Amino acid sequence: MKMLKKEVGRFPVGVWIAIVAILALFLGWGMQAYSLFDWDGALYLGLQNERFTGDAAERAWAQESWGVAMADMLWPLPIGIVALTGILRRRFYGFAAGLMELSIGIYFPLVFAFQRWATYPETVVVAIFLWTIPSLLGIIGLWENREYFDE
Amino acid sequence: MLEPTLITWILVVFGLLFVFLPMLFIQLLMVLRPHSQKTRDICIGKGEDWRDKTHFRMSFGAGWADLVIWLPLLAAGSIGVLMGQVWGYALWAASGAISVYINIILWFSEREYVYPAYGPLVYYTYFWGFFVYWGVAVVVYSVLRLVTI
Repeated sequence: MKMLKKEVGRFPVGVWIAIVAILALFLGWGMQAYSLFDWDGALYLGLQNERFTGDAAERAWAQESWGVAMADMLWPLPIGIVALTGILRRRFYGFAAGLMELSIGIYFPLVFAFQRWATYPETVVVAIFLWTIPSLLGIIGLWENREYFDE
Repeated sequence: MLEPTLITWILVVFGLLFVFLPMLFIQLLMVLRPHSQKTRDICIGKGEDWRDKTHFRMSFGAGWADLVIWLPLLAAGSIGVLMGQVWGYALWAASGAISVYINIILWFSEREYVYPAYGPLVYYTYFWGFFVYWGVAVVVYSVLRLVTI
């Protein structure tokens, strides 16, 4: 765990890991924002899986995915902005918001995994490697460096 | 040390009675007996059935994720804050953030189906509202306590 406290450039390694994990989550929030803006375009790019024009089951999944995308804009995205700003400014509020953001980064891919493993296993694996594991490592990195943050 | 205050105790007791214990019971039912009538009566409404496979899978996924991540964070955070530990507030803030997050999703994906059956009093209290109120309160309170260290 000492490695996580080693300073590399401006930040310790653990803080860098948290920053990268939060940026990876921003990639997800960006994909969700684009989906809300242009659902058909998101389907074309493979960011979403279900159409609002499909059969009843597909429409239900699309409605659920739309709800998740909207929730992502209202809660984790603002928390992520606060977290990134605070971490870059070395403030304690950034540490606290970072823990919240990264917890959501662990939680939702797991909901997704238990929901959709049978239908979209590849997407589940991508979500776990892109968000769950980096978020878990980011939490460990932040926690190991908690004294690093002022205030 | 962050000594527990009256607000700490109120949030711990409220969280235990209206968030942790009900969700532990419901989500255990959800993952152990997902298709039983009792599970459906509690999760959807008396005599109701899953709207479709999507509705069931969403609830099933949330059930597992709550048991694996959210409820352990909530329990560990509550113990930590009562012990006056900084990590307790950090875990509490994380569990509060998850509580608000999943309930925003439910607002958009489920409200139109369950609200008519339960009505405003039940919906805005123990069915949905308590989870949001508790989550917001815990996030705000934890951050306020953590920044005073």
